[in-house]
This record gives sequence, structure tokens and C-alpha cells, in this order.
Amino acid sequence: MIAFTDIVGMDLAKKALMLLAVDSSLGGVVIPSAVGSGKSTIARAFAHILPEGTPFVELPLNVTEDRLIGGVDLEATLATGVRVVQHGVLSKANGGVLYVDSISLLDSSAVSHIMDAISRGEVLVEREGLSEVHPAKFMLVGTYDPSDGEVRMGLLDRIGIIVPFTAQNDYRARKKIVNTVLGKRDAEDTQDELNMLTGFIQAAREQLPLVSITNEQVQALIQTAISLGVEGNRVDIFTVRAAIASAALAQRSDVEDEDMKLAIKLVLIPRATRMPEREAEAEEMPPQEEPPPEEPEAEDENSQADTPDSEAEEEQKDTPDMIEELMMDAIEMELPDNILNISLASKKKATTGSRGEALNNKRGRFVRSQPGEMRSGKVALIPTLISAAPWQETRRRDKKLAGRPKTALIITKDDVKIKRFRDKSGTLFIFMVDASGSMALNRMRQAKGAVASLLQNAYVHRDQVALISFRGKQAQVLLPPSQSVDRAKRELDVLPTGGGTPLASALYLGWETAKQARTKGVTQVMFVLITDGRGNIGLQATFEPDAEKASKELLEKEIESLSLSIQADGVAAIVIDTQMNYLSRGEAPKLAQKLGGRYFYLPNAKAEQIVEAVSSF
Amino acid sequence: MNDFSVHGARVPTKPSIMTQTDKAGTKTAAKKTPAKKAPAVKAKAVSTVIAAPEPKKAATSAAKKKSGLAFPFTAIVGQEEMKLSLILNIIDPRIGGVLVMGHRGTGKSTTVRALAEVLPFIDRVKDDTYNRTLEQYLEGEEGKKGRAALDPASLQMEKIPVPVVDLPLGATEDRVCGTIDIEQALTSGVKAFEPGLLAQANRGFLYIDEVNLLDDHLVDVLLDVAASGKNVVEREGISIRHPARFVLVGSGNPEEGELRPQLLDRFGLHARIITILDVSKRVDIVKRRREFDDDPDAFMKKYSREQQKLQKKIQQAKDLLPEVTMDDSVLTDIARLCMNLGIDGHRGELTITRTAHAHAAFLGEKEVTMKHVKEIAGLCLRHRLRKDPLETLDAGEKIDREIAKVLGEAEAV
Repeated sequence: MIAFTDIVGMDLAKKALMLLAVDSSLGGVVIPSAVGSGKSTIARAFAHILPEGTPFVELPLNVTEDRLIGGVDLEATLATGVRVVQHGVLSKANGGVLYVDSISLLDSSAVSHIMDAISRGEVLVEREGLSEVHPAKFMLVGTYDPSDGEVRMGLLDRIGIIVPFTAQNDYRARKKIVNTVLGKRDAEDTQDELNMLTGFIQAAREQLPLVSITNEQVQALIQTAISLGVEGNRVDIFTVRAAIASAALAQRSDVEDEDMKLAIKLVLIPRATRMPEREAEAEEMPPQEEPPPEEPEAEDENSQADTPDSEAEEEQKDTPDMIEELMMDAIEMELPDNILNISLASKKKATTGSRGEALNNKRGRFVRSQPGEMRSGKVALIPTLISAAPWQETRRRDKKLAGRPKTALIITKDDVKIKRFRDKSGTLFIFMVDASGSMALNRMRQAKGAVASLLQNAYVHRDQVALISFRGKQAQVLLPPSQSVDRAKRELDVLPTGGGTPLASALYLGWETAKQARTKGVTQVMFVLITDGRGNIGLQATFEPDAEKASKELLEKEIESLSLSIQADGVAAIVIDTQMNYLSRGEAPKLAQKLGGRYFYLPNAKAEQIVEAVSSF
Repeated sequence: MNDFSVHGARVPTKPSIMTQTDKAGTKTAAKKTPAKKAPAVKAKAVSTVIAAPEPKKAATSAAKKKSGLAFPFTAIVGQEEMKLSLILNIIDPRIGGVLVMGHRGTGKSTTVRALAEVLPFIDRVKDDTYNRTLEQYLEGEEGKKGRAALDPASLQMEKIPVPVVDLPLGATEDRVCGTIDIEQALTSGVKAFEPGLLAQANRGFLYIDEVNLLDDHLVDVLLDVAASGKNVVEREGISIRHPARFVLVGSGNPEEGELRPQLLDRFGLHARIITILDVSKRVDIVKRRREFDDDPDAFMKKYSREQQKLQKKIQQAKDLLPEVTMDDSVLTDIARLCMNLGIDGHRGELTITRTAHAHAAFLGEKEVTMKHVKEIAGLCLRHRLRKDPLETLDAGEKIDREIAKVLGEAEAV
């Protein structure tokens, strides 16, 4: 066993789990971390710092719906002749921890059920003739490798704490990890430390109800959430709770700045949709969004009138500075300058990993069975038998069925259940749009139109669309694979243009996006490149901003080897050249050839023409 | 019209021709599954019989799934659009339900689940699993062949709160539609129909959280039932039809996936919900939530008067509704509005008309004016406009602009 105290590094993750141990109403902790950083070790070690007897249930990724929610226990039912109910994993975790390793790879229907259980605190079992309610209040601990893709936002929203992502690359710390794994530490020391920690947490739990937080502090936390562009109001409650739990851990009865900073760091920053800049934002942020303080009071007579107007005004005068300070401290503490590089580097690692392959086999996994015609799909044998079993006695007595040959089981058309596989998914279209140069605006408009039009029909075909733009030093995913018209509309609202042409970076990013999508069940991927095919920024510039300009040969080599790998990976591609360009050196057709795809020359193309080209392929 | 009928089996003269063993079997079965909610409609199986659907003890569905207290409706801060939509649907269920879409963590499901506490009461035949009125019950039961005439005087009535039924994403089709009671079949070889969630939801609310993630085949079922107001189940040689009219309430986050267009069209109203940016309101939310979590009972008590006040106001509006009238000129304006916005079909006009009536009733007014229409037109039409990702104007703004135009024209004429 590796104890919680033995784990080296991951201090923030440890702190987060301790807060959760103090206040389980924080909902859970999600820990993103690269492979081999000990994230699953720490989650498992977490079980030992909880009070004895707390359930710790690990959720396997390939869990089926009836195992997750619960259902009829076939074996016991057949043995006893009375329907026996089997509780699902969610209700087994009641009062304890539900642990999911690689939570970002969890099937989307499983994620929905977990979300539902969290928001209700119980599981409704309305299945196979059962109608039951099982309590399911649990803390969710999830770990994942960001290079596998992200966790669904809806789920994250219901989990209080998200540990900010950092790649663990301290060599010395790693060595220590290895030593721990090899058992070089004294077991007795470990036990002592563990006992101490458990004592701490117990004391903190007792302290928790005694901690108070001031109105100004709550306001400051909310202001921070607003200026970081965090969606929803539920997060306020988590932030306040996290600050209180932090104070309780320190055995204080008042929330102090450090508690608030920790709460901002663990709850708000990971959900930020924008990072305010020190001066610019501070000016415009607080006063404009502030309503006159008397308004809410007038509206709700029954809200306690414990913030008299004058006091509220004063608070609001004080807060901006305080918020700004807190927020900037928290941000600076956490965000290294090279945050972008870290995430890119971790993505790169995944290309050589063997994980992607294994996961592809899970495509089209069997999720549930449903009544259906025998020929309309694969027959689900066991559900069919469950369905037929109770009728045997009746059917044997049924004269209409008397003429049938004697078989052990009489199965009729009504019993047949067919397998339903994981949501069929259509094609993922990855648009890669050259946003460099002067004609970029035009190309962008065409691409947006095409994306829009494809999404209009996305529901029917189960297609998804992603959009990558490339300009300047590197490509950028503007719209991650999505079926949502609303989302596309929002994300594509502002599209910056101009600068160099990092074509290789776009291909690379597109390939990564394709691979991630495949782990989530997308079977076909198609690149739609809207470009003249002339890249002038190499991959190196993406990773090392100071690198020298790549030579023409190197650029071409990069594109060529990337194209080959992408083609070998089974990704289809088309290249659309929309530019009226008499001087064209035929780069775009060459690119199409390298990718094994087709080339379209559509000068001044309308969005519909692009869609047509895409659909014809 | 025959709302409830049974085919495919001879109908007995009396509903209870169960043998002694059958009864014993039922008892054991019932003991083993204490959580089972609606005792099945008994029917003797094999080649013969199906009993009249005479459920013995139907649990009042509103009370059945309460574990812990729900946050009080009147304590929910902001999100007026959603609250109004729900209230208007209580006042007139024919509005056709609400789709609540918006940001995560903004109290969508909390609000819908809080609804149960402010709902008015309805009359139903005592213990009827389908929550039928006396008329519906007689209509359904008397239509059956070979059945002795029912004496209305022999039937007892009871008052129950409007049921709110939660349909979880993981529900299987048999639990939604109802099926043959497996327990009885297993223990006694008797075929009995066990009503599903659609039966419980009759005359009430059917709520689906994350409705945009609902499985396709369940969406099919819902569309079918919502269109006909009836649920038909055929299985093991029996065929059951029962009324299933409910107010459909769905909620979800549009970024998680799109809703099937046919289902979208089914919803009368579309409430949009966004993150509250007002700091003092948010402080209030945090305070109330913490207060509720610390001591739910005390919190409920604090809001009980508000709750009762709202419940009364809704009941008054329901009573007033038949008296509310609307001038033809208003109808003309509504039609013009829908035409200008290029809305297909007539569901838009119809929804606006009904919703405006309910809104006037809620405000205690007897005459629908364009003022009422203006306040609810966005709710009624937002999801009926064509979606265009390149459109920068919000659907609500577009509707407001058209209303202004219609009003301007109306004034000019």
C-alpha cells in the first residue's frame, strides 16, 4: 500500500482531496495529470484518510447501464422465482467515494447517469419492470490524462474541485516516487503520519460548522467568478464551501485570504473562460456589472435585510482591490508562462503511446438492449432470456403454443431484445482554415457558412464538426468536435486573422483532434482544408517560440511525413482552394496528393459549394 | 370516446376472478419488493381472461418519490422566465409544456423539482392509477364489452396534488409505457398490466432532465404519446390503451447536444436561462442554499407562507381563466407577428393565444391585450425561428423587434 502521506509532489491534488474529506458536499475532485504522475495512486490512497468503513467504489470504464444504475439480478431471480434487485455501482458508492480513472474516456451515457445521480443524490431505477429509488450520495474522484480529451463540462459543473493541470517533471521528485513504490520507506513512519493526518481531518470536520465567512468575502469570491467568466451560479456555492473547508483544516473560525485564494485556485480558475489582465480588466469590471444595491431588497421582501444599503455600498467600494489582488495572486501562483507548451507537450506524448489503439476497439460498445425485431440487429441473448423466463409456465399451458416442438424454453417474438450499441456516430468533419494573409477573412466566412450548413443537418447524420484555424505561430482549435449550432455560433463569433501560415501545426492539431474523437466513438474523420497550401511556419516554431525560421526543405519534409501518417491513419481529406490566384504554384493540389485526398478549385466559393464538395466525397 | 380498452382476450364479467393461489402468490411477491409503487392491474392469463383495470392501491405519485425536501420554489432567486413559463403551464396545461435550456448550474432542475410544492389539487377516481376524472373513468370503463354498467355513485373520488413524474435518462421503454407485471407472471402465471411512468403522469407533469440526451427510441415513444394523448401497449397477447396527457417539461444545456426538431416543436414554451451576473443576487443564492442545507425544515417553514400565497394565486388564475377574453384585433396582430417572423404552421399563434390568456389570468386581468402578448411572445416563439449560426441577433431581440413593428403598424392603422 502506498499511503497518502508517501506520495511526493501533487501537493495541490492532495490539498484538494483533504478539503473534500473535510466537506463532502464539495461533490468531488477531478485531477488532470499526465501518465505516470501518480494520479490514480493518490486517488486510491485517499480512501485511507477517510473514516473507517467509508465505501470506495471504483467505476470500470466499460460499465454497462444496468451495472451502473442497477437492475434485475438474473441468477438470483431464476433461482428464487422472485425478482431480486441488484444495486448499481452508483448506489453502492452511497456515503463514500466513487472513483473513476480516465474519466474523460467514460462513455457519454454513463456520464449522463452520473450527472443525474449527483444532482438528485439518488438513482431512479425505472428499468425492466422495476421502479425503485436508491440513495446515491457520493464524492466523485476522477483522474484523467488531458491528452485523452477533456471531461464533459456538464459533469465538471457538478464537481466542486478541479485541480489545475501541471505536468510533473521534477526529476528528483520522481526518483522519490520510485523509492516509495519500491517500499524503501519505513512502514511505521508511514502509519504514524497517516494517523496524524486522519486526526487532522477529523478535527477539521468538527471545526467546519464553526467557521464563518463574511459577506464581503462571499462577494469577493462571486466577483472573481464573474470576472473569470465562469458559467453558472452553482460554482459560487462550491467556492464558498472550499474556502470554509480550508479554514477548518487550519483550525480557524474565520476565513482568511489564503483560504479564499485556495478556493479560487481550485474551484474558479480551472473553469475560467477568460483571464483578466491586471489593469485593463480592473477598470471596467466591477462598477458596471454592479446593480444598485437596493434593487434586490425591494424584490424579495423575505430575504433577510441584513445588508443595509449604506453598508452594501461601502463593501462594494472596498471589494474591487481586494478581488483583483486575490485573483492575480491565485493566478500567478498557478499558471506557469509556458502553460500552452505543457498542454502541447503532453499531447505530443500521446502520439507514441499505445493507448489509442486499444481504445479504438471499444468502438460501438454494447450499451443496453431494447425490444426489437430479430433481424433488425444483433440479438441480446441474456436480456431475451430474462424476458422469456417468467412466461414459461404460462406458455406451457397455452393451447395456442401447444403445437410447437418441445424446447427447454419457449421464446416468442415479444421476448426478443436486440443490442443497442454506443450512440452511432457519423463523420467528424475537421475544417482547417488558413487564417493568415489578406484573403483570410473571406476564407473564414466561407468556412463558417459551411460549418453552419453541415451542422443544420448534423442531427440527422450524427455528424460532428470541428474547426481549426491556423495563423501566426500555430494552429488553434476554435471549435472542438461538436453537434451544437449554439456552440458553433458562439465560438466562431470572433475569428482573428492575419500573420504567417503554420500549415504543419494545423495538420498536427487536426490529427490529434481526430484521435481524441476516435476514443469517443467517432469512426470516420475527414479533414477539410481551406487553404492555398503554402505553409511558411514550421512545427518547431509551435513548440519553441524562439526557434529560427525553418528552411523550405524542412517545411516540406514536415508536411510530407505528417501527411503520410495521417493518411495511414485512415483519415480522409479534401483540399479546397478558394483563392483567385493566377500565380498559384500548385501547392494546394500537391498537398491534396500527399494526403491522398481530393483537390477542389473553387474560386469565390459560396458556403453551399463547399458543403457540396464535402458531401460528394 | 373509448379511452381505455382491452383487446385480445375475453373479458370477464367480474374484475376479481383470481384464485386463492393467485392471491397468495401476489402477496409474497409484494412482500419481496417493498419499493414497488403501483400494484398491477390484475388479469388472469393463459387463454382466457384479462381483468378490468381496477388497481387496488395506486400510490399517489406525487408523494412516492420524495426523499428529503425540495428547495422551495419561492426561495429561488431570479430566473423569472423559467418560473413564469412553469406557472403558466399549471394555469393552462394545454400550452404544451416548457423546454428550459441554458447555462450549467443555474438551477434548472432545482426549479422544476420545486414545482411540486406549489401545484394545485385535482380530483380523480379514488386510487385510479391513471389519475382519471369521473367522466374519463366512466367513459373508459363502460366502453368495455361485457362489462356491467358502472354506478357513478359507487365510485369514490379523492383530491391529489397534480403529479410530477421524473423520467430518468436510464429508464427503459417498459417502465415508461408500462408492461406486463413480471412478478405476477413469475409467481402465479397471471398476466397483469403494470402501468408505467406515462400512466402516472396523466393529467400531471412529466419532467425530463437533460432532455437533449434522451435516447432516440424513448423520444419516439414520447412523440407518439404526446401527439395522441394515449398510450398503447401490446405485449403477451394483450393490448392496453390508456389516457396519457401530460405537460412535458424538459431541461438541458444546448452545448451538450441538439434536441430532435420534432421534439423541440412539441414544447409550447422555450425558456432560456443564463448565469446571473448580479453580485447581490448571487450572494443571496449562496446564503439561501447554505441556510437550506444547514436546516431544511426551518428553511421550509420560513417560506411556507410565500409558498401558500403562490399556490393560491395559481388556483385563482386557473379559476379565472375561462372568463378571460381576447379581442379579434389582438389575434390579428399575433398572426401578423408570426407571419413576419416566418414561422411555419399555426402552432405559434395557438401557443401565444393560450399563453397570453394564462398570463392575463395570472395577473388577475380578464382581457388579453398586446401587453400580455409582448411579455410572452419570446417564450412561445424562440424555438420556432429558424436557427442560423451566422445570425448575430438573438432570437429574443428579433421577436421584440417584430412586435414593435406590429404594434407600430397597429397604431398607425
